[in-house]
Amino acid sequence: MRLPFACTVPGRFSARLSLLLSLWAASGLGTGGCGGGHQTGGPAHRPQGTQGGGAQAGPAGSPGLTGTSDSASAAVPRRGGTIVTGWTAEPRAVNELIVQATNPNQEMVFQLFARLLREEPDFERHPPAFTPALARSYEWSADHKTLTLHLRENARWSDGVPVTADDVRWTWQAQVSPEVAWESSYMKDDIADVEAVDPHTVRVRFKRVYAKQLFDLNEGGILPHHAWGQIPFSRWRQSGEWFQQHLVVDGPFTLGSWRRQQELVLVRNPSFYDPDRPRLDRVVMRFIPDQASILTQLDSGELDFTAAISPRDAPHVTANPRLKVLVFPYRNWIGVAWNGARQPFSDPDVRRALGMALDRRAIVETIWGKFARVSESPILSVVWAYDRSLRPLPYDPAEARRILAAKGFAAGADGVLRRGGKPFAFEISTNAGNQQRVDSLVMIQEQLRRIGVRAEPRQVEFNSLNARVLAGDFDASVIGNSMDTSLDLTSYFHSHGIALGTNVTRYSNPQVDRLIDHAMSQPDIALARQDLDRIQEILHRDQPYTYLWESDRVSGLDRRLHDVRPSMVLSFYDLEDWWVEPTLKH
Amino acid sequence: MTGYLIRRLAAAALLLWLVLTTTFVLLRLVPGDAATAISDLPIPKRQKEILIHAYGLDRPLPEQYVRWLGAVALHGNLGISYAQLRPVRTVVAEALPATLLLAAAALLIEYGVGTALGVAAARRSGSALDKAIRVATLLLYSQPIFWLGLMAILLFSGRLGWLPASHMLSVGADEMGRGAWLADLAKHLVLPAMTLGLAQAGGAARFVRAGLLEVLGRDYIRTARAKGLSERRVVWVHGLRAALVPIIQLLALSVPSLLSGTLMTEVVFAWPGLGRITYDAILARDSPVLLATTGVSAILVVGSNLVADLLHAAADPRVRDA
Repeated sequence: MRLPFACTVPGRFSARLSLLLSLWAASGLGTGGCGGGHQTGGPAHRPQGTQGGGAQAGPAGSPGLTGTSDSASAAVPRRGGTIVTGWTAEPRAVNELIVQATNPNQEMVFQLFARLLREEPDFERHPPAFTPALARSYEWSADHKTLTLHLRENARWSDGVPVTADDVRWTWQAQVSPEVAWESSYMKDDIADVEAVDPHTVRVRFKRVYAKQLFDLNEGGILPHHAWGQIPFSRWRQSGEWFQQHLVVDGPFTLGSWRRQQELVLVRNPSFYDPDRPRLDRVVMRFIPDQASILTQLDSGELDFTAAISPRDAPHVTANPRLKVLVFPYRNWIGVAWNGARQPFSDPDVRRALGMALDRRAIVETIWGKFARVSESPILSVVWAYDRSLRPLPYDPAEARRILAAKGFAAGADGVLRRGGKPFAFEISTNAGNQQRVDSLVMIQEQLRRIGVRAEPRQVEFNSLNARVLAGDFDASVIGNSMDTSLDLTSYFHSHGIALGTNVTRYSNPQVDRLIDHAMSQPDIALARQDLDRIQEILHRDQPYTYLWESDRVSGLDRRLHDVRPSMVLSFYDLEDWWVEPTLKH
Repeated sequence: MTGYLIRRLAAAALLLWLVLTTTFVLLRLVPGDAATAISDLPIPKRQKEILIHAYGLDRPLPEQYVRWLGAVALHGNLGISYAQLRPVRTVVAEALPATLLLAAAALLIEYGVGTALGVAAARRSGSALDKAIRVATLLLYSQPIFWLGLMAILLFSGRLGWLPASHMLSVGADEMGRGAWLADLAKHLVLPAMTLGLAQAGGAARFVRAGLLEVLGRDYIRTARAKGLSERRVVWVHGLRAALVPIIQLLALSVPSLLSGTLMTEVVFAWPGLGRITYDAILARDSPVLLATTGVSAILVVGSNLVADLLHAAADPRVRDA
């Protein structure tokens, strides 16, 4: 389980997985950088009816599009009730350490197992804060290498057994066990030891001071030692069903039933440490692979909520007076990756010229309408560290031609640019089935043709393209990358990422390497603002990617639902706060 | 007959083995196979090695094949699903009944509607009704199943609100009584079965029409009419009975298209059958599940053709003596 805005994808290795994912990438995001200090508090109640989870107001001039679900915020929150939600994919298993972190799995597991801390969705103003969850407070040592956490005394597993420091230590042991082979285990690499000082005190020792200490620690829910410790780690990978049969939870919900390929029912956990949460009695997750069917069922009232609808369907949803949509930023940015290991893309000036030949605004508006923004940086524009002084790369085909001419490219009789007798022609690929990216290929081809560059669009099956891009076997490719609030750019732009395959553009700049290293070695990422600005400036100049867009995500829901605040990563981020007005429907 | 039976059984077993072997090899050769998927995981090399070893993917391909075939043939062990980490046998066993129910209902619709339309067209051959039926059945037959399904959902669920758009049961069905539960199941079965059955019924109707027209021109039919039998009796009893023999064979031949049809139908209607798990397994690169669903489909296809052949042989001595 990963906290929203936090986690794996942009971490040191995880870009390998998320590279090309379009909608619901496997995994969360990486973060950290909560500036140490001391946090304390009671049950982590969020203010009622406030904006959260990164949701934002809908596009101007789009009546019915809202950023939160609190049109009736004056109404009194109510306990009880059932809601039915629609999902295109199904979770895989209740034990997150042994399965791939698909989005539906994260949504489910986030409700079953509490985390030590809660990462707040306040990334727009500053690095996200970590507030109490299973741990009621924490404090750092003077050298910022040791963290002491104090667990809630009232935290109980659903079978009545107290949640203790031993569970925290054992969970860490499972997370780093090579036999368990958890895909996010690398996030625990810098944790030297987790010690159970007493039943409610945990001491965590880090190997070094760095920006993502809290985030790395907080990755993954705390698991029940007394229940799941009955089988050795070596047998975990053969025991997916066993964990479900022996499930005990400490999160807001427990698993009521699970009919495979049909539906999963989350039921309120009466043992949850916060007696006022969750508000809903039951949340049904129905699995409907076909997006059109989901829309029809939302329209007909069979569904109360669906996490992601196509932006082009938003007007259809808002035309139904019973429904509304939530629009909020998504964590992906999409760009043209130029393979810097191949000529002529190894030349930053050539990459810049190609970027200037693209009318990115026209591409984004044609494909997304008002549901995406032209992207200028790998740091999303809604995040506090985005460098607002960056000047958008201009659409200037004449200047692009001039730069290419200076680089020795001259037009042949057929109008195609040539250098040394070789035409400037290359293949530009993307993953088949992602309509937005496929559409962009066609527009890019046409716009490059106007300056005499021949780009051959090619749709490639997802896995094949992933393998080719990671292996560096491509010229240019429209791909998606996840960015998180930890702002760790190592995997995408550090030279170390070349050997790992995560730096797919093979971009190598010693100055950027030094800046990334320096930024990530700070105890608080907020201290690295200057480094981050400089990195963005250099990347904007060098254009290893020509950034295309960062899109919004659109959820559809019934107006009876309130306090719905999806995050950049999880739709169920605040599920314990959701409440529903009574009807006769369920 | 015994010799014929042995020959046909041996051929069926060989065919099954070929299908499974080809599938096994292809799944190991395509880009993004299981070992590659593990190699792409963001975990240390040591952990990757443990995973690859645990799934036996570090062994040479021939050894993997022999081990897999041995486990399947000797112990019925289909392995562990990479995606769900549950026994594949459990995954398939959960899905198979839903697919069989859907396929049976669709088959009933296919041949019920197909036969009725085919007979009606043959009885009034050349008439406006015949032409209308031929055009309608051609249209039905040429529509992609996913499109038919979506249109059915939009009309009967979205616009009219008569039938549920997806799933096998309603929310809360577990708390229903037996009668209500069955009624709920039947209600959910209507749209997917109609979609799958009607798409196939177009072909059946045209086949029945052609077969019946051929039979209705024969001497014994003329004799029956000359004896004063009613036209209904001539067509439905004497004509259709003779025309049914090739139709039974068609029934066996329609199993493959029915199974391929279930994949799209189950995805569109969120029906929890083999098609759905195949679809999910493709997306998850879950080769043990893919192998199992391919195997089950092959058994159903080969088995139905075997039964048809045996019935044909029983009815026609020339076949078994050939």
